[in-house]
Amino acid sequence: MKPIEHPSVAAEVRGTSLKLQVEDLHKSYGNHEVLKGVSLTAHAGDVISIIGSSGSGKSTFLRCINLLEHPNSGRIAVAGETLGLVPDRRTGALRAADARQLARIRTKLAMVFQHFNLWAHMTVLENIIEAPVHVLGVPKDEAVARARKYLEKVGLRNVEDKYPAHMSGGQQQRVAIARALAMEPEVMLFDEPTSALDPELVGEVLRVMQDLAREGRTMVVVTHEMGFAREVSNHVIFLHQGRVEEEGNPREVLVSPKSERLAQFLSGSLK
Amino acid sequence: MIDVQFMLDKLPAFLGGGDGQPVFSVTDGLVLTLELLGISLFFGLCLAVPLGLMRVSRNRFVSGAVWLYTYVFRGTPLLVQLFIIYYGLSQFEAVRESWAWAYLREAYVCAIIAFTLNTAAYTTEIIAGQIRNTHWGEIEAAKAMGMSKGLMMRRIVVPSALRRALPAYSNEVVMMMQSTSVAGLVTLADLTGVARRVFSDSYLPFEPFLTAAAFYLALTFLFVWLFKLAERRWLAYLAPRKH
Repeated sequence: MKPIEHPSVAAEVRGTSLKLQVEDLHKSYGNHEVLKGVSLTAHAGDVISIIGSSGSGKSTFLRCINLLEHPNSGRIAVAGETLGLVPDRRTGALRAADARQLARIRTKLAMVFQHFNLWAHMTVLENIIEAPVHVLGVPKDEAVARARKYLEKVGLRNVEDKYPAHMSGGQQQRVAIARALAMEPEVMLFDEPTSALDPELVGEVLRVMQDLAREGRTMVVVTHEMGFAREVSNHVIFLHQGRVEEEGNPREVLVSPKSERLAQFLSGSLK
Repeated sequence: MIDVQFMLDKLPAFLGGGDGQPVFSVTDGLVLTLELLGISLFFGLCLAVPLGLMRVSRNRFVSGAVWLYTYVFRGTPLLVQLFIIYYGLSQFEAVRESWAWAYLREAYVCAIIAFTLNTAAYTTEIIAGQIRNTHWGEIEAAKAMGMSKGLMMRRIVVPSALRRALPAYSNEVVMMMQSTSVAGLVTLADLTGVARRVFSDSYLPFEPFLTAAAFYLALTFLFVWLFKLAERRWLAYLAPRKH
């Protein structure tokens, strides 16, 4: 994988356009604390990889950002708008104070899942236009045009009328990426997008993600692909037992880790 | 022996004709069976979709109330339900004096009410089961896209559940079609009612009921075929890839 440069976004835009801020996120299941105060800041064009062994809390952290999981404390702000959170009396965790604000913020945080999660009863085209039409209120013909543009971008042709189950995993994941793109989100969240794929299909998905990074899209990626973390992202966060063990520029952090645990993790992954 | 000529002679009676009248001059027989079935299936399905959603509600009173309804109607014979509505309701003076009495005194209306409530109970459970079976990942995707709960139900959960309910629902339709035969016991002349009438006129036991059975078999065949077509259209996404 070829390294990509992030210079253009850096100087002018960064600092002025804060896309995502997560501060001091805590999350417990019962007595077990999975996240012990994790923070993350993404400016426009940032590609942030979150790595760590299984159970380190990296997926949970990502899923807390759009409230698919409910954190116990912390602050989340998307494109300058802070998500209003109140404690839920039943569970004790935080929930959205205003369902409509949560819905609006979620539309700015398109998510790509490990298992694609395409709507099985809809064709590819229907999957992609569904949320733009019914959530964002985009006129249907415009949504269709958008869908075709993004299908082209993810390198899929002649699949509009197919059902997800009739496609390969790599194709399904690319449809899911097109579906996320069609929301024209501020930040894209990727939850281990290649972990459920056969090894020979991983490349096609990573290439699409690399293109998106090159376009300057803001992405937060939970991944096991060290090549991607090293070459495509401009910031890497290593989570260990619910804490940020080490973070920084991937070409420094991944090449010469300061923390022993990261060194151990990297020697185990060998990539 | 079976008197085939007699069966052929009496065939028009099953099609609303006979005794010098052309077929379909009255709605007796086949037409009445289809009417009872069609109307009760239509209203039953209209009731079952909201009831199915209520059945999976997290509010225990809502889901409990629907559970009680489906339990009672699935736990008692249709014939008993029909008798309770047809003979039972008339015992109440309030019912007899109300505006509804004009309808409730009609066996036809009572049969449709009983059939509707009965099929709605079964269909509610079929739909509720499929709503519960919705893949959690599809629900997460809907949430992550910013769908409200109502929109998610309307656009993702219910359409997907109704499609997956088709095979079980086709069974329900066939069972219901056969169950309409109890309408004959409250004076209605559906296929079975006509068969009973021919039997009591002729004292030939075999022929009229064989004719009725043949009609039911043909209808079953037709419904199974229609549902095959429907599944091919709406469940295509579950079918194996064609290429």
